[in-house]
This record gives sequence, C-alpha cells and structure tokens, in this order.
Amino acid sequence: MITRALAHRRGALLLFGVAALIPVFVRDAYFLDSLVLILLWGALSAAWNVAGGYAGQVSIGHAAFFGIGAYSAALLGTRFQQSPWLGMLVGVALSLVAGGAIGYLSNRLKGPYFALSTIAFSQVLLIVASRWRAFTSGSEGIPVPFRPGFASLGLGHVAWVYLALAVAVLYWGVQVWLEHSRFGYRLAGVREDEDAAQALGIPARRLKVIAVMTSAALTSVCGTLWAQYIGFVDPFYVFSVDLSVRFALNAIIGGMGTALGPFLGSILITSLETYLRATLSGVQSGFTGIYLIVYGTVLILVVRFFPDGLAGLAARLRARWARAHA
Amino acid sequence: MDPARRLGPAQIDVFAQLGVSTVLLGGIYALIAVGLTLIFGIMRVVNFAHGEFLMLGMYLAFWAFTLLSLDPWFVLFFSIPIFFGVGLVTYALIMKGVIHASHNVQIFTTVGLSTALQNVALVLWSGDFHTVRPWHASTPIRLAGTAFNLSQVVAFVIAIALTVLLVAFMRWTHTGRVMRATAQDRDAAILMGIDTDQVYRLTFAIGIAAVGAAGVLVSPLYAVYPTAGLQFVLLSYVVVVLGGLGDMVGALIGSLIVAAVEVAGSYFFGTAWKEIFYFVLFIAVLVFRPAGLFGQRGAETLGA
Amino acid sequence: MSAPAPLLTLEAVTKRFGGLTAVREVSLQVQPGDLLGIIGPNGAGKTTLFHMISGYYPPDEGRVTFDGRDITGQPAHAVSRLGLTRTFQIVKPFGNLSVLDNVMIGALTRRSSTRAARTDAERVIDICDLGRHAAARARALPLALRKRLEVARALATQPRLLLLDEVMAGLNPTELIAMVALIRRLHANGLTLIVIEHIMAAMMRLAQRIVMLHHGEKIAEGTPREITSDRRVIDAYLGEEFVLADA
Repeated sequence: MITRALAHRRGALLLFGVAALIPVFVRDAYFLDSLVLILLWGALSAAWNVAGGYAGQVSIGHAAFFGIGAYSAALLGTRFQQSPWLGMLVGVALSLVAGGAIGYLSNRLKGPYFALSTIAFSQVLLIVASRWRAFTSGSEGIPVPFRPGFASLGLGHVAWVYLALAVAVLYWGVQVWLEHSRFGYRLAGVREDEDAAQALGIPARRLKVIAVMTSAALTSVCGTLWAQYIGFVDPFYVFSVDLSVRFALNAIIGGMGTALGPFLGSILITSLETYLRATLSGVQSGFTGIYLIVYGTVLILVVRFFPDGLAGLAARLRARWARAHA
Repeated sequence: MDPARRLGPAQIDVFAQLGVSTVLLGGIYALIAVGLTLIFGIMRVVNFAHGEFLMLGMYLAFWAFTLLSLDPWFVLFFSIPIFFGVGLVTYALIMKGVIHASHNVQIFTTVGLSTALQNVALVLWSGDFHTVRPWHASTPIRLAGTAFNLSQVVAFVIAIALTVLLVAFMRWTHTGRVMRATAQDRDAAILMGIDTDQVYRLTFAIGIAAVGAAGVLVSPLYAVYPTAGLQFVLLSYVVVVLGGLGDMVGALIGSLIVAAVEVAGSYFFGTAWKEIFYFVLFIAVLVFRPAGLFGQRGAETLGA
Repeated sequence: MSAPAPLLTLEAVTKRFGGLTAVREVSLQVQPGDLLGIIGPNGAGKTTLFHMISGYYPPDEGRVTFDGRDITGQPAHAVSRLGLTRTFQIVKPFGNLSVLDNVMIGALTRRSSTRAARTDAERVIDICDLGRHAAARARALPLALRKRLEVARALATQPRLLLLDEVMAGLNPTELIAMVALIRRLHANGLTLIVIEHIMAAMMRLAQRIVMLHHGEKIAEGTPREITSDRRVIDAYLGEEFVLADA
C-alpha cells in the first residue's frame, strides 16, 4: 500500500501541479473550461470511489446526491436569494440523510440488487423533481443566477480552475487518507471479506454506512459547484442514470480503489468527450449518441480486460520497468 | 381514442375495469419477466440491459409496420427466432466472458451494454417518439362493463401462451430439466456431464427471445423511443424478486401483483408516480422478504 | 481445590435450522490457559458451535458467557473486541491485500494508529513465521500459508481466547508439524485455545482435554487418553482402538 501511495504522490503532484500552472500560461476560455470539467468530473468520481472502490459498495445512483446538491443550491439561490454556500450545506445535510438510507440498503442487499436499488432511488428523485412544478419548476429545470463574487460563487474561469483544483486535491487527499488510516484499512477488510472483517472486530455495517454517507456528501458538494458553474439545473440530466454511470466509469477506467484513478479516468473520458463534441458539433443528437455508445463499449472492455484500470496498467508497467532495471 | 372514454363513464364498472387491466397488464409483464428470471435463476447473472432488448423488439415491430406494413402479430413469429439469434450473439460476445466474473464486472458489463444499445437506437433512429398503430390498437372490446382494445387482449393471450409454453418446456422436456439442474447446482451439473456453457447459451437466448417478443407485442400499447426499455426494467426486477429467482410460475404471480399495484396506484394517484410504486415495492420485498413470496431461492443466494 | 473462574462457559447451547437440530444442548467450560480440542464427524455441529460462540449467529437456546460477561447473541465484531477471536474453516484471507495488511487489519482492533498496528503485525508475522511473505498478496499464497495467515490475523487482535477451526486440514506432514509447533508455542505463552480438528495425531499432541460432538450432542469429554478409550467415541468416530505410540 505504501509504495503505491508514494507513486501516486509523484503522479498526483505532477498532475495537479500541471493543472495549477495551466491558467498561468493558457487564457483560452474553452481550454480552461475543459480543465474545470476534468477536475470536477474527477472529483465526482473520487467521491463515488469512496463508496464504490474503497468500500466495495457499487452504486449506479450517485446522481441522486449530485442532483440534491445541484437543486439545493439552485432552489435556495433563486427562491430564497441565499448564497450557494448555504445551498451546499443544505445539500450536504440532505445527502447525508439520503446516504444513510442507501447505506442501510447496502447492508440488506447484495451487489447487483444494491446497484438496482440505487438506480431506483435516483429515478424516484428524478420523477419528483421533474413533476413538482410548484417547488422545482418541474421539467423545465432551474436557471441558476450568476451573481459575481466568491460568496455567490460567481467566478471567472481562472478562479473556477483553482476552486475546482482545490476540491480535486481535497478529494484526492480523502482517498489517500483512506489508504493510510485505520478507518481505511478496516474498510478495505470489509470490502474484501465482510465476514472475516467482522470476526476481527470490525463493525462492518457501520463502516459501510459511514463510507456511503461520506461519498454522498462529497458528491453533493460537487453537484452544487457544478450547478453554479454551468448555470442551469435540468432534472433529466442531474438525476440521470447516464450521469451515475459516468461517475463510476471514470473511476473504473482510471483504477477503482486507487486515489489517482478517478482523475486519470476523467482526463481520458472528458478529453474524449471534448474531442467528440468538437468533431461532431454539427449533428446534435448524433453526437450524444455516439459518445455514449463509446462509453458503453469502453466500460464493457475495460471491466473485462483491464479491471485495474489505467492506474493498474501504470503499476504493472512500473513493476516491469523496476524488474528490468533491478 | 381511449375506448373507456368513448363508451361513457356510466357504462364502465371501475373495479371490473381495474381488475381486467391488472390481468392484461400482468400477462405482458409476465412475458418480460419470465426471460429475466430464467437468466437470473440459471445463470445467476444480473442483466441490466434487459429493457433494451424489449426496446429493440418494439423498434423491430415499428420498422416492420412502417416500412413493410406488417402487423405486429405477424412480426411476432419472426421476432422469436430473430431475438433468439440476437441472444446467442450477445452471449458469445459479451455474456460468456462475465458469467464467472465478479458481481461488479457483471453489473458494469451489462450497464455498459444497456448504455450502448440505448444510444445505438438513438443514433440510428433518433430520439423521436414513434407509435405503432395497427387496426387492432383502436378496436374496442366490451365485456361486462369493461372496455379495452383488441391489442391489449391479444397481447395478453399471446403473452400467456408463450409463458405457458416456456413453463412446459422447462418442466417436461429433457433440455428443460437439464437447465433446471444447472440452476440448482452448477458444480453438480458439471459433474453430471452437463455442458453448462451450452445451457447458459440456450438460457440467455431464450430469455432474450422472450423479451424481444414481448417488445413486439407491446409496441401498439406504448410509445417507441430509445429509452422505452427503462420503465420496464425496474418492474421486471420487482417481479423476479417477488416470484423468486428462476421461478417462472412465481414470475407469473409476481407480474399480477406488480400489475395490480400499478393499476391501483395509477387510479388513485395518477400514472406519473408509478416508478415510485415500483421502488417502494422493490425495497419492501428486498428488505422484508428477499426470498420472494414463496420462500424460494431469492436475493440472498445471488451471491453464490 | 477451587478452580479460577472459567473463561468461557456454554450452557445448553442449541441451534436449529428448520427441522434439523444442528447443536443440541451443549454445555462446556474452558479455564484460562486451557487447550480444549473438539472432535467429531462432519456435520456433528462443531463449526456451528464456533459460529454461536463467536457471534456469527445467535443460539436458539442456551447461554454463552465469556470472561464473566453474557455474550449470547452478541454480534461477531463485539465478541472479537471483548477478546474472543475465531478463524474460519474455509480460510477467508483479504485476497487483494498483502499479508502485512491482512495482519495489520487484525491488529487495528486494538490499536488506533496504523504505525502501532504495523509493529504489532510484524511481530505476529514473525511468531507465525510468515516474514518472508509479508509483502505477498494474500490470494497468491498456497493453502498452508493462507492457513497460517488466518491464524496470524486472528492472533493480531490480541485475543484472550482463540478458536481455531480445522487449521490443519489440507496440510502436508511438514506443514502439519510447523502448525502444531505454532499452536504449542501460542499455548505455552498463555493463550487459551479451542481447537477443532480431524487429524487425531495432532489433536493428541496438543489438547489437554477433548470434547466429542456427534449429531449435535456432546457425547464425551475427557483427557486424550480417556477419549480414545471411550467406547462411544470409538464407535461413532475413531473406528478402532487408537493407541498412543509415544508418551
């Protein structure tokens, strides 16, 4: 575990260092926008990873927490003129409750059934959000007002890059902490073999709930940030299964259960998306479809042939290099 | 035009209507779920893409109807071998590799398949909502104060017939027995010389054929669009869990229960909230009776 | 001579599965420093007994008292925290983690810092002679080492009472000798043990007292010599007079 973490630190330092330096040299809004998205998606996948990779609770419904965060900020902002930071807190509180419920389910349901229940949960929220005209403006969604200033998260591109970077580093740090802390070690035991973990004095059920709740809260925070960044909350997007899959996808491609994996995956996928969007910009629905077909196919291939993801690949290459130069 | 409205409220006996609705709907759900419970029960694999094959069946009916003016009932007979073939190909390309893999691999493989299939439909045929309107979709049937259209009734009859055929196949043919043996104990089956790969291939193909046929059958009843399968996926799983993994008769009964919940729920609260009913029912069953209503092998054994 | 308070007491512990009574009113006592052996044919209820003692599932009837405390029906993790740890008959290593990590997770039951846990773990790994494999992934280990890992991991929780469930099954003679020596050492250092075993040669060398279970009932209890000359034990399990070859 230690050597892997150190290696990550080198890689992470490189990655985050480069990200921090980019706004100094690059001023192109489009490029900076891509960078913000890479960092946010990476953070979201890192949040998912806490439950999925480290606790072994694979959820395909994390969009539920994302949407809660997005809606909290949007609703508090438009209806009550509150700062999005307050919205973020409210979102976190709600997501902790929702996360607790999902965590409870994780103790009752095994793998695929748990995944199914998370999908169902996110879809219920989608229905509620898209039909509750009075409160959430229903299916039209909520435009998020832009009020300049840090308190209202109305920021310029460069500021967003650094905010997103701060969140990304923080979430990366949470994962690294999981790899070194007592909590994280015991969680790994629960993930590997719940019965054996219990027999060693680990309250497995409690740990799982804590992990899921943490994951939920972290996801919610990013939901708030994203809503403020993009400026619009569409229920059919923020609660969608496709979105949930994407959180998992980045982590899987990059390496589930590794700290840097979600960010590696995000770099690959988000860049791919940006590229496809640029190339196929003429064909509207055609673009969305192809992009998701690629997602689906990549998911199938990676999960079957590269289960350790990019991080695992890197580790294997590193090991081979080390052996060759021993 | 909704036959119930044409006839006028005074002539519709609400409870009879609800009851028959339940039965008709239940039959269709049974056909969808029976394929899933087979795949579950015998292969112990969750197929998140099940709804997408239903969607493909709907599209098959749509294109056959639009381009070739073929009635869905006619297309049905071809759809069975077509989707059987689709099942064989999908098994060989995708499912075969993940049968012995971990749950996570199975989940993400079939989720990936689901995403890919939805979007293949989107790219090829656009996201527009289509409808299949053969003559029987607006032919009213009136019986004892209830009103339905012919499509619903025939869909029900054919669905039940196919399901019964499937049950008979599983119960009375040698192949069916072999399949059930594999479901009960994979290792013992191997020791008995059963080629489990063949069994799985056949199981999956049958399951997909059933759900593809169901798609063709329901095409006159629901709108056809790339994500049309989603609404059926969750309820299929509720049915399967209610009835017990691999229990086809259980799937029949489970379908009726789910249909009843949906019909009653829609009547009292409106159709918008039916996903919520499924969710509540789903969670309730899994939390309180994961072994299904009949105490058969259920959710806990999915970990085998 | 008054005996010190028993460490573990089972009173008429019973477990039923549907119509089958897997364990029927089994009572026994274990004093601190004992090494108790449990023998019996497959299906006799030995592992079921361990499950109930360790909290894997609760008994239907009866009481389990550990260190003066009633632990009947307590969940496994609580029981382990109290100082009663068990191993599994079919070993359950944390496959993707290293041997060191595996044992550390055991040590973390008692330690709040990973550094202290690592020191503990390294010591235990030494005791169990796994030092050479500390960095290896658990699932890459052959069975004999996995069994030793199972013991090491349980040991790291600093138990007062350790339940070993058939740790010798599947070991070749050399590995057997090593495992017997390990258990002997642990016992000599003051650990109280209950050991389920089929390998009578090992059992005879280790156990001070042996309990025999048959069809869920305790049908005999005594010293190794007494047990091996007990008619019921011979009929139900041993099959013939088992004569100790050495002293």
